[in-house]
Amino acid sequence: MSVYTINELCYRSVHDPPFREALLADPAGTLATLELTDEERDAFMTQNIGQLYLWGANTFLLGHLMRYKLFGVEREQYSKSIWAAARSVGRPAGGP
Amino acid sequence: MAEIVCALGVPHTPAFPKMARSEGPDGPVERLFRAVREQLEAVQPDVLVVYDSDHVNTFFFNKWPTFAIGVTPEIYGPNDDNSGLPKTVVASNEEFAHHLYAGGVESGFDFMLAQKFEIDHSIMVPLHFVTPKLNVPIVPLFINGVAPPLPAAKRCFALGSAVRSTIESWPKDMRVAVLASGSFSLDVAGPMMEPGGNSGTPAMDWSNRVVELLGAGKITDLLEETTSDQIARAGNVAGEILNWIAMLGMLDGRKPSFVEKHDGFGHAFAAWRWD
Repeated sequence: MSVYTINELCYRSVHDPPFREALLADPAGTLATLELTDEERDAFMTQNIGQLYLWGANTFLLGHLMRYKLFGVEREQYSKSIWAAARSVGRPAGGP
Repeated sequence: MAEIVCALGVPHTPAFPKMARSEGPDGPVERLFRAVREQLEAVQPDVLVVYDSDHVNTFFFNKWPTFAIGVTPEIYGPNDDNSGLPKTVVASNEEFAHHLYAGGVESGFDFMLAQKFEIDHSIMVPLHFVTPKLNVPIVPLFINGVAPPLPAAKRCFALGSAVRSTIESWPKDMRVAVLASGSFSLDVAGPMMEPGGNSGTPAMDWSNRVVELLGAGKITDLLEETTSDQIARAGNVAGEILNWIAMLGMLDGRKPSFVEKHDGFGHAFAAWRWD
């Protein structure tokens, strides 16, 4: 589990523009350079925001994925995924 | 000696500059910020001490402070791009900031020293409205309000009291204003976000309760009720209330000269005067 690296990816997407551009241009190739497990890389590539949240990633930071549409994440997919994940463990969630 | 001349509490929603433009000068954002700004301009401060919670833009989890203070001649910001505000440099007062740093450590509040850092929208949005010419030097005091475990409300209140004593031990004449930045209920990109936006206000009842207690000056009740569970229920950045609570620790139980909810939001605007 590499929650630190998950958070770091989100942080760098704001503060390291060349890194953000690389994530947009070649998401899989850029993920391959980071110390993440295959499962974690897969969660990013499949826009499984809820799983990243359940692993303990900071939710404010995860929002940067939506802001920059990294890995193709759009707001609707982001919110559905994080709502479902929260409900799956009995935590409060917004949405319908 | 230095004296505190006024205290202000405001939110820092990144969309405020855009909202203010579309709502116009009589819209709620401009009107509420104008009410605060007029209080500040009336007392002509020499420095503005700002209690703020970094949104993981100034610091990261490689080194994450519960309490930190900026000690530097000038500060760059905003270093995030969600507010659309121009990137600029704000003056600070390094000597006075170091006095607050040393006074904090000596009185049991071990600020992390930050001498090379940038600030994000959570300071620059309030400054954009409150000191639009950026002509009042700022000293930022950072309180962790976004990454639990957060410091306890009573600890933050005591921190504010200690900062006040340190301010008053500054030997030179100086007029010090204080600003607390933050919301009471807000979840940004977390599971309590609502459809149609990137955030939610999951505890509007709590936000209203905070406003009620602030207006009545019932600070003891506020400290009792601001628990870590309550903050968690109110959203992933609801810990920003700790900035307000630190500021309240400097006020001797004063009631605000005004406090007003911002309709539709989990936050408020307020000011305290000494005269």
